Amino acid sequence: MLSLRKRLRSQTLGPASKMVGRPLQFFALFFLAILAPARSSAIAPAPASNGLCLACHGNPAAATKLANGEPLSLFVDPKAFARSVHGGKLACADCHVDMARVPHGVRQFKSRRAMSLAYYELCKRCHFAQYARLLDGVHYALLAKGDDRAPTCVDCHGSHGIGRPDQPRTRISATCARCHAAVVAAYRRSVHGEALASGNPDVPVCTDCHRAHDNANPLSAAWHLSIDRLCARCHANRALMAKYGISTQVLTTYLNDFHGMTASLYRSEKVRPAMFTATCTDCHGAHDIGRVGAPGSPAIKANLRKTCARCHRGASANFPSAWIGHYEPSLSHAPLVYLVKLFYLIFIPFVIGGLVIQILLHLWRAVVNR
Amino acid sequence: MNEYVVRFSLRQRIEHFSVMVLFTVLAITGLSQKFFDNWWAARAIAAMGGIDRVRWIHRAAGVLFAALAIVHFAAGAWLVLSRRSSASMVPTRKDFRDAVVALRYYLRISDVEARFDRFDYRQKFEYWGLVLGGLVMMVTGFILLYPVTVARWLPGQLIPAAKIAHSNEGLLAFLVVITWHIFNAHLSPEVFPFDPSIFSGKLSRERMAKEHPLEYARIRAAEEKPRPQAGETP
Repeated sequence: MLSLRKRLRSQTLGPASKMVGRPLQFFALFFLAILAPARSSAIAPAPASNGLCLACHGNPAAATKLANGEPLSLFVDPKAFARSVHGGKLACADCHVDMARVPHGVRQFKSRRAMSLAYYELCKRCHFAQYARLLDGVHYALLAKGDDRAPTCVDCHGSHGIGRPDQPRTRISATCARCHAAVVAAYRRSVHGEALASGNPDVPVCTDCHRAHDNANPLSAAWHLSIDRLCARCHANRALMAKYGISTQVLTTYLNDFHGMTASLYRSEKVRPAMFTATCTDCHGAHDIGRVGAPGSPAIKANLRKTCARCHRGASANFPSAWIGHYEPSLSHAPLVYLVKLFYLIFIPFVIGGLVIQILLHLWRAVVNR
Repeated sequence: MNEYVVRFSLRQRIEHFSVMVLFTVLAITGLSQKFFDNWWAARAIAAMGGIDRVRWIHRAAGVLFAALAIVHFAAGAWLVLSRRSSASMVPTRKDFRDAVVALRYYLRISDVEARFDRFDYRQKFEYWGLVLGGLVMMVTGFILLYPVTVARWLPGQLIPAAKIAHSNEGLLAFLVVITWHIFNAHLSPEVFPFDPSIFSGKLSRERMAKEHPLEYARIRAAEEKPRPQAGETP
């Protein structure tokens, strides 16, 4: 982390060897004196100083070239900014702290990406909580390893035209789709994604499971073993599930079974478990999850053998009925299991009760004999 | 004349000791799996090095238990068939009569105590309880150890049923041992605090006469048959 910061700082503040955007400085100087505080939009008054900046940056043609030859537009659309969540609240220099002085100092960036990375920490001055969470996330971990493609604040939120990231709710998956296209395409076909598209607010979007800033690595063992809790946030919620006629026993029946027991014990172990145990998504699918009744569902009876065989090699046609589903056994459902359970419910107290009575009688007679 | 009679052979004593050790290991590793969501079970599993190792220990002990059962029955069958030993553990009609006599004695309906042979009805009950319970544990344990193989020939529902049976039968065995066996071998006024006969193989003549009068009478008869040697009191 430290090394990254150093790297970024050296990019930001390193000795200037090449002037970039020099003509703009003259523009800025010229307009400084003559421009009155501008009202860029009818929505809210912009801080007075923004007008100064827009004197140059309000010019759609304002642009420069970066070291690698990439063009960089220096234009800021005042209307877009005014409509953004920050419109009327922030002055340009609140974020662009290092641009408060005009003419701006000279900066050198290899590329647009390098510039983005150099500036992404600007947001933390206000949004420190989100920034701190980001440091715990998988995106930051990639960034820290030097992967430039890992997203920073502006890659998801935009910069001058920032809107509420969850308005409308479908916007969240659209944002993630910019990198995770295949995953989002599968999600959109899933039972959750289809419901979301039809305007249902109950279903999860990307960030409900993966979180927004501190998204954990979904390929890690810890993540895999926590999936039941993730699904249970909705699927163990009686009020919510009642709307769709879905049983909330799914979690308890899973946890009481071999797989669920293993997962909860693995979760408490410090070391990475040597064995694999199935959690929700291993049978039901994750992003492409469908109704259990749907023909393509891996959890439908017709497909179960194949699903079981993914872990239980050689699973026969009989094997899937070893999983009695997310239902408590009863006379009509898994009667053998139910009857064995019932038998012991009677047999254990009967035997132990009988033995305890015999012991007490024995002791009583021994006392009487004395 | 010795103060005691030798009641258990070395093989029987080793068998008891092995069952004792294996049962303890199986009970600790098994019950902590059955009650895995209780704090004490979670702590026990962690102390034993995680659930994978607990399962490994449990399965290894189970296999040894099954091997011991095979040795026990093979040896028993050989001894009975070669007439070196009588089938004294087989329940007879007398055992049921003894139980009724004992019950009447306990309830002070009569003051007549049941007179037992080599094994009394309580010992036979415990032995056959262990045998039948052990059989259930071995069969269901095998099903749980090889679910895919079993389901190739038998209905899949057998596997969750075996799990319920294994877990409950194990609990029953544990409860029987900590109530019945601990009472009979440790807490009962006749033996308190500890009945060492299954470890030493020896039982005092006093206790033999009191607890196994029929067998003791046989032993006495056999002892008196050979000609007494000079100087020995009968």
